[in-house]
Amino acid sequence: MKAVCWMGTSKVETLTVDDPQLLNAQDAIIKITRTAICGSDLHLYDGMIPTMEAGDVLGHEFMGIVEEVGKDVTKIKRGDRVVIPFTIACGNCLFCKKKIWAACDNSNPNAQLMEKAYGYSGSGLFGYSHMMGGYAGGQAQYARVPYANVGPLKIESDLSDEKVLFLSDIFPTGYMAAENAQITEGDTVAVWGCGPVGQFAIASAFMLGAAKVIAIDRFPERLELARSLGAITVDYSEEDVSVLEALKDLTGGIGPDACIDAVGLEAHSSDLQGVYDTVKTALLLETDRPIVLRQAIMAVRKGGTLSIPGVYGGLLDKVPFGAAFGKGITMKMGQTNMHNYMTPLLERIEKGQIDPSYIISHRITLDQAPDMYKIWRDKKEKVTKIVIDPWA
Amino acid sequence: MSTPLTEKPAVEPLPRTAGAASMIDGHYAPPPKDKDGKMWVRTSAIIQADPQTLYERWSDLESSPSWQEEITSVKKTGPKTSHWTMKSGDKTIEWDAETLASEPGKRIAWHSTAGDIHEAGEVVFEPAPAGRGTIVTILMMFEMGKIAAMWETFVGRNPKQAVVENLRHFKALVEANEIPRVYPVPHGPRGTIGSLKESAFGEKLPIPAGSNASQPA
Ligand SMILES: NC(=O)c1ccc[n+]([C@@H]2O[C@H](COP(=O)([O-])OP(=O)(O)OC[C@H]3O[C@@H](n4cnc5c(N)ncnc54)[C@H](O)[C@@H]3O)[C@@H](O)[C@H]2O)c1
Ligand SMILES: [Zn+2]
Ligand SMILES: [Zn+2]
Repeated sequence: MKAVCWMGTSKVETLTVDDPQLLNAQDAIIKITRTAICGSDLHLYDGMIPTMEAGDVLGHEFMGIVEEVGKDVTKIKRGDRVVIPFTIACGNCLFCKKKIWAACDNSNPNAQLMEKAYGYSGSGLFGYSHMMGGYAGGQAQYARVPYANVGPLKIESDLSDEKVLFLSDIFPTGYMAAENAQITEGDTVAVWGCGPVGQFAIASAFMLGAAKVIAIDRFPERLELARSLGAITVDYSEEDVSVLEALKDLTGGIGPDACIDAVGLEAHSSDLQGVYDTVKTALLLETDRPIVLRQAIMAVRKGGTLSIPGVYGGLLDKVPFGAAFGKGITMKMGQTNMHNYMTPLLERIEKGQIDPSYIISHRITLDQAPDMYKIWRDKKEKVTKIVIDPWA
Repeated sequence: MSTPLTEKPAVEPLPRTAGAASMIDGHYAPPPKDKDGKMWVRTSAIIQADPQTLYERWSDLESSPSWQEEITSVKKTGPKTSHWTMKSGDKTIEWDAETLASEPGKRIAWHSTAGDIHEAGEVVFEPAPAGRGTIVTILMMFEMGKIAAMWETFVGRNPKQAVVENLRHFKALVEANEIPRVYPVPHGPRGTIGSLKESAFGEKLPIPAGSNASQPA
């Protein structure tokens, strides 16, 4: 089959690789009909996530038609149309029972690698490094999906692929970000990053009762999408704009009730702080560039909540923890517990409350993927979201 | 506050001891230190099954190859004795073991009696609070030397990590009815340092069959 392979930092190639095969009795093989590139894939592209190996198949946002199932698969059958959650969960361990699916104890065959780095291992993920399991990803024509009785969401209506594809990651991720923000009726919520995750966080914050959402980014097309959802936008790159000042000005001086960091470890900054972090990460003294995290901690109101869907990987420098303590804030974060959100969010799509395909800017083939990685990383061509048809 | 702060909270008496001696007289006890040629490892896992079920699965020694790395056969040789075979490529090591204690739903202890491995171990099953499953704790001792070194080259893990991984496999098999695996995995060319990374990321490590001994399909 054809698949998009990580071949090293800033090197992605579309190659012919072996087809996946059933390895366990609860596996399914999916013939992929649509897949996408995620902001998280850019962290891999940029070499920010350890334990990648040349040749690894990328991609964790995909859906398709069930091609083949193992003998213990009862919930789906050949021919079913399914969306696959990017976190892999067994459904039976203590964490799955607690519905913290992204912390599943049993789905990461390389748990010992992650235990060394983080103390305990999270769930396996598709196409996201060996530390996270070494599973082949979904920017390909086929993928092997373990625990097929637990993860796949069956689509029984005739909604188009593009409308349901983002149930595989970014819509639930944005929704969980808003849920983690502990929004109550009338709250003001600030969202850093108007990429796909930020977009769905904005939409979800309104669904959960936010009165005002303030969206921060520097790309006009992304800010415009945010405004189309009803958010007030702030362009942090404009001359004379200070984000902290803007957030005070827009909240009667108290700061947002909740802040959402939908940017993560590769935040951009043109000022000295950014230079400091870029130099430190280059010297391997720091692994992440927590520019947005620092701002969000400073900006959130006293007793407010900080929700962090943006990915962080390692050691962070100069995080104002004293401010976090001094204001008594709550922080919630982590990989999305996908399985909690897929069915309820599908219902919202079916009811026409939201059409997630509004963020798509590019529709491409597998062969175009390597170029698109570069274009997106360099934030050219007004990319908001890239969807791949693996058979085109 | 309706109750005075001096009132004693109504709680169950605290346990005084815990499995494989991780707590003695209400105080945490670290695992024994490696010395005098002996290597110790203690590890635990919380498993969603009751102690009796886990005890029974563990006691079924002949099924150990389904979850213990590189164990190819276990044969019962008597009511309390068994013969173990470990194979990798053309290398084989074998030993005899004897069960020293077997308390249903509580604990099993064993040691090796003859052969290529000198080890002793205990596994304890204790219910976790509030129906959160069973805490399984293993304490094992290996006599170092030729065998331990051989095990390492043999299995690709040091024996301590092998105990940790075997418990992980046991847990996965009980809870999810299979042991997670990814290889063979579709991939592009691995490049010049591919084989180095393959071993660093554990691609060459053995994974027992789990419930999957026959065909998955
Ligand atoms: N928690 C999860 O499970 C999960 C799932 C998916 C994605 N993510 C993460 O969410 C983050 C966003 O993903 P995405 O797909 O939207 O990526 P993206 O790269 O499209 O969007 C990031 C946006 O942040 C903006 N940005 C950069 N620096 C900024 C700054 N200093 N202030 C404000 N905005 C800034 C960029 O301009 C860009 O628009 C990534 O870190 C991704 O890894 C997490
Ligand atoms: Zn993603
Ligand atoms: Zn689980």
